[in-house]
Amino acid sequence: MTRYAMAIDLRRCNGCQTCVTACRGANATPTGMQWRQVLDMETGEYPDVRRAFVPVGCMHCADPPCEHVCPTTATKQRADGLVTIDYDICIGCGYCAVACPYQARHIVHRNEFAFGDDRPMESELARMDPERISVATKCTFCKDRIDAGLERGLTPGVDPEATPACVNSCITRAYVFGDRDDPNSEISKLLAETAHFRMHEELDTDPGIYYIWDNAGEDK
Amino acid sequence: MATAPKSVRKVPEYCYQCVAGPDLLTVKVEDGVATEIEPNFRAAEVHPGGGKCCVKAYGLVQKTYNPNRVLQPMKRTNSNKGREHDPGFVPISWDEALDAVVAKLKEIRAKGLLDEEGYPRVAASFGGGGIPTYYMGTFPAFLSAWGPVDFSFGSGQGVNCTHSEHLYGELWHRAFTVCPDTPSTRYVLSFGANTEASGGVIGAWRHADARVRGMKRIQIEPHISVTGAASAEWIPIRPKTDAAFLFAMIRLMLYEHPRERLDIPFVKAHTGSPYLVGPNHYFLRDPKTRKPLIWDLKTRSAVPFDDPDADPALEGVFKLDALEVGADEQQWMHRGVTAQTSFSKLVRHMMPYTPEWAESVCDIVPGTIRRITKEFLDHACVGETIEIDGEVLPFRPVSISLGRTVNNGWGGYECVWARTLIPCLLGALEVPGGTLGTTVRLNRPATSRQASVRKGEDGFMEYPMNPTDPEHWQSSPKVRNAHGTLVPLSANSPWSQALGPTHFAWMFRKQSPENWKSVTAPDLWFVYRTNPSISFWDTAEVVNRIAEFPFVVGFAYTLDETNWMADILLPECTDLESTQLIRVGGTKFIEAFWDHEGFALRQPAVTARGETRDFTDIATELADRVGLLEPYNKAINRGAACTALAGEGFDFGLELNVKHGAEEIWDRMCRAASAEVTDGASSEGLSWYREHGYRTRPISRLVWYLFPELRKQGIRLEMPYQERLLRVGAQLGNRLHEKGIKWWDTQLTEYSALPPYKDFPAIWERETEAHGCKLEDYPFWLITARSMQFAWGSNVGIPVIDEVAGNLRGHRGVVINARRAAEMGIEDGDIVEVHSYVGKTQGPAVLREGIRPDTLLMIGQFNHWATPYAKDRKSPSMNPLLAMSMALTDATGSSADLVRVAVRRVKAAA
Repeated sequence: MTRYAMAIDLRRCNGCQTCVTACRGANATPTGMQWRQVLDMETGEYPDVRRAFVPVGCMHCADPPCEHVCPTTATKQRADGLVTIDYDICIGCGYCAVACPYQARHIVHRNEFAFGDDRPMESELARMDPERISVATKCTFCKDRIDAGLERGLTPGVDPEATPACVNSCITRAYVFGDRDDPNSEISKLLAETAHFRMHEELDTDPGIYYIWDNAGEDK
Repeated sequence: MATAPKSVRKVPEYCYQCVAGPDLLTVKVEDGVATEIEPNFRAAEVHPGGGKCCVKAYGLVQKTYNPNRVLQPMKRTNSNKGREHDPGFVPISWDEALDAVVAKLKEIRAKGLLDEEGYPRVAASFGGGGIPTYYMGTFPAFLSAWGPVDFSFGSGQGVNCTHSEHLYGELWHRAFTVCPDTPSTRYVLSFGANTEASGGVIGAWRHADARVRGMKRIQIEPHISVTGAASAEWIPIRPKTDAAFLFAMIRLMLYEHPRERLDIPFVKAHTGSPYLVGPNHYFLRDPKTRKPLIWDLKTRSAVPFDDPDADPALEGVFKLDALEVGADEQQWMHRGVTAQTSFSKLVRHMMPYTPEWAESVCDIVPGTIRRITKEFLDHACVGETIEIDGEVLPFRPVSISLGRTVNNGWGGYECVWARTLIPCLLGALEVPGGTLGTTVRLNRPATSRQASVRKGEDGFMEYPMNPTDPEHWQSSPKVRNAHGTLVPLSANSPWSQALGPTHFAWMFRKQSPENWKSVTAPDLWFVYRTNPSISFWDTAEVVNRIAEFPFVVGFAYTLDETNWMADILLPECTDLESTQLIRVGGTKFIEAFWDHEGFALRQPAVTARGETRDFTDIATELADRVGLLEPYNKAINRGAACTALAGEGFDFGLELNVKHGAEEIWDRMCRAASAEVTDGASSEGLSWYREHGYRTRPISRLVWYLFPELRKQGIRLEMPYQERLLRVGAQLGNRLHEKGIKWWDTQLTEYSALPPYKDFPAIWERETEAHGCKLEDYPFWLITARSMQFAWGSNVGIPVIDEVAGNLRGHRGVVINARRAAEMGIEDGDIVEVHSYVGKTQGPAVLREGIRPDTLLMIGQFNHWATPYAKDRKSPSMNPLLAMSMALTDATGSSADLVRVAVRRVKAAA
């Protein structure tokens, strides 16, 4: 089997927002809609304070709550683990957005252009997708890239043209993408040698994003 | 779904929107429309950041199609200039625009290139770090052909750069900027160096790798920047007191740790530490050769510093006969004089600077400073070596970085001195793992730090000081900021004008100081890819001065606060629309250390918008119409626009009297570049680069380090004792006093052989008090910080950049300590007013724990009132809170973004 998953090394992330911007460009999302986000978090009290950057988005859960609540079966899960939305079926009810514990789903009812509705840019008009208005959208793990790459015999997570845009763009190599079920994939090997966690594991969603925070050790 | 495109191309480009570039990228073009930026994955084989580009590059699509662009030439119809006067720009043809500019240029040539005060009649200002050069095609060749041009009207330099590092760094280790040898260092002390924001792709890449490898970075700064977030520890230091921490470290290393923790052989052989100092504070010299003397432990006598058989004494008091040479050739011949080594002078000098003293200054407990110093020593690996390409070098994986505000204005000299001295004591300067310079801009050639090194008479590196002797001192400034007159260290390279006291060009326009010739307005001012009306210091004053300029030519992307005062706007093709070849690789600011060198191309990925023109074609047209075609082509052939068109075994030079198109010029440039990179084996031109994007060759990593070159030439590092600076300062004082100039006397105190700590914050506090204000009414320090999204980018009008910058807390707000805010009744998001002795600004409060209770932070510099999009994004800004000031100007001509302020709640969050 194949389970595409992502590892994000929090030691590497510097909050630069390159992945967010690359995602916006690659997926032509409307102004303000960030399928990939990087949170700027602070813990502790002065002077014992830590600041950290945490990339978030759809976790492509193995047991996705969004799928369970979808009344139209628009949200589905592929055999390779990707959670998808069929825009033709989605009615934009928003149940999934409420059910998602990761706040990863977005719905807009009009496409906002960067410089205002009366001044769309050529680049926006060329890629505006009416199908994504008034439906739920989210990070797809760039499934179109993955699928097109696989058709050409490329390997997601290895070949850039088959790899999500956020992973490709990351200037600190915080992201690693690949097949979690392949023990020889880079992600599997990396997770084997590092300490990591997943968000809200207590909810048993089996999320597909792993957060690395240290090297593996007996006490980790 | 969106219609599938009929044609898709990926076009290789470079991005040089910040000084940490260039980075290599591709732009996806679908049916002729640029849609997506991606890394240049193929370039991962040569680019030290994996062929990636940073967030700013991803704004280039919106930059291209921005509906606010100026797309045709414009002329001003309102003769009144100033913020309050709408310029009334109306479209005109290129011919009319060029005719207007050329008529003015010809008029100037007829009158003479210099005005009645001796200043160039033509001035030009470009953005920071040389960035515009990478977008202005062959315009540098036009300026070269023109003759004298005044580049000294600052647009951000001095107050917004790491100015002390630029000047003193080049003096001490050919280091225009400084960074750790990140790939192999293990312990970094970062005093406010915001590397994660300003280090570009390569900086971020290297530091991330280092963190995972186990490198420990300690961030010492008043608030947790993004770099602090990615560091092992944050130490909240009081603003502008960093020198105290560093001085205490030196004191600890000299007094509380055994000498063997230092690299004594390195200190003796490779620094000026053994040099003997006379009673008048100058080196003692051999009367015959005038060489500085050291004490030889073998012969128990004074010998010249370069005696190959000597075993230099590092410490001690010695009696000898010697010559001492002071300022202006003043000489003392001593008999039986008692002298100490420079090192002994240092030890004595540092005695007062205990950690307990430092705590009272910088608010860091002595235990922390002791621990940090011990950790630094523990990681230094003194005695270890490493082999790089067959050469055995010291391995010292410890480093110190300094950030902006730490590194400019008063206190910058002391910080840079201490930062340079500490690695010298450990043999950790310019060696693997240690503290490295990146590039040279004041020394020549700019393409090689190693080639810029020549041995001076005293055994240190030569430095092209502006002369201070009576015969050669530039008593009448040749440009308006007077760098050649006032700042010997600013030297005389093409970059020197930009590294003088650039605010003086603005300040002295309003009122010249005593015994100083008047500063005239230039007859014509070119301005490109810079916006000093926003990016400088005391911007309201800058706007007033620009409004007095009689003829301003703006190469315009959109309207902005500076070209608001222009007479003619010339719209140039932007990043993805025009052609240019640049050098890449080698070592360059800020952490751009490559294992390759070569060239990269920027090319039109899409058709130019509107009537915009390639900058090279604009430059050629100006040269032709002004009658400078021959010298312009000569300048291009010489290499003024990238590389020389002729070399050993090749000649692609332009015919001198022919008007060449941009494609022809860049094709020749590509051919010359190919020949250079391949030692003449290849001569592929523009079409090859358009397909491949770049061409490089491998280089030895030894070029990362200056120490091998110093060792080869037998050159010592000029540490710790600054005899040369002492002499230069004394001579400069003599010259100025001979002209009756006393207003630079405070600055002259910076020329000290061993710098004492001064109360640097008090310099800014006194400025507040001098304006009749009580300090207790202004209880906060206001500081600023760079953001990776905007730094250097000229991209405030790009919505997607603004959008993602908003994900970082503090953008467009006033960051304040949460507990302190609560005490003042301020809640997160409340609108607060911040005011200084000069003015006030408003914005939403951003409550954070990661900032000192006595400090406020405003990120970036946003105060736009003309730039489309940006002017509608209201932000608090330091601009109205600062005034240009002689008192706040240090000896190198810089100041720092720093001011005492008060804050009050205005209203609740909307």
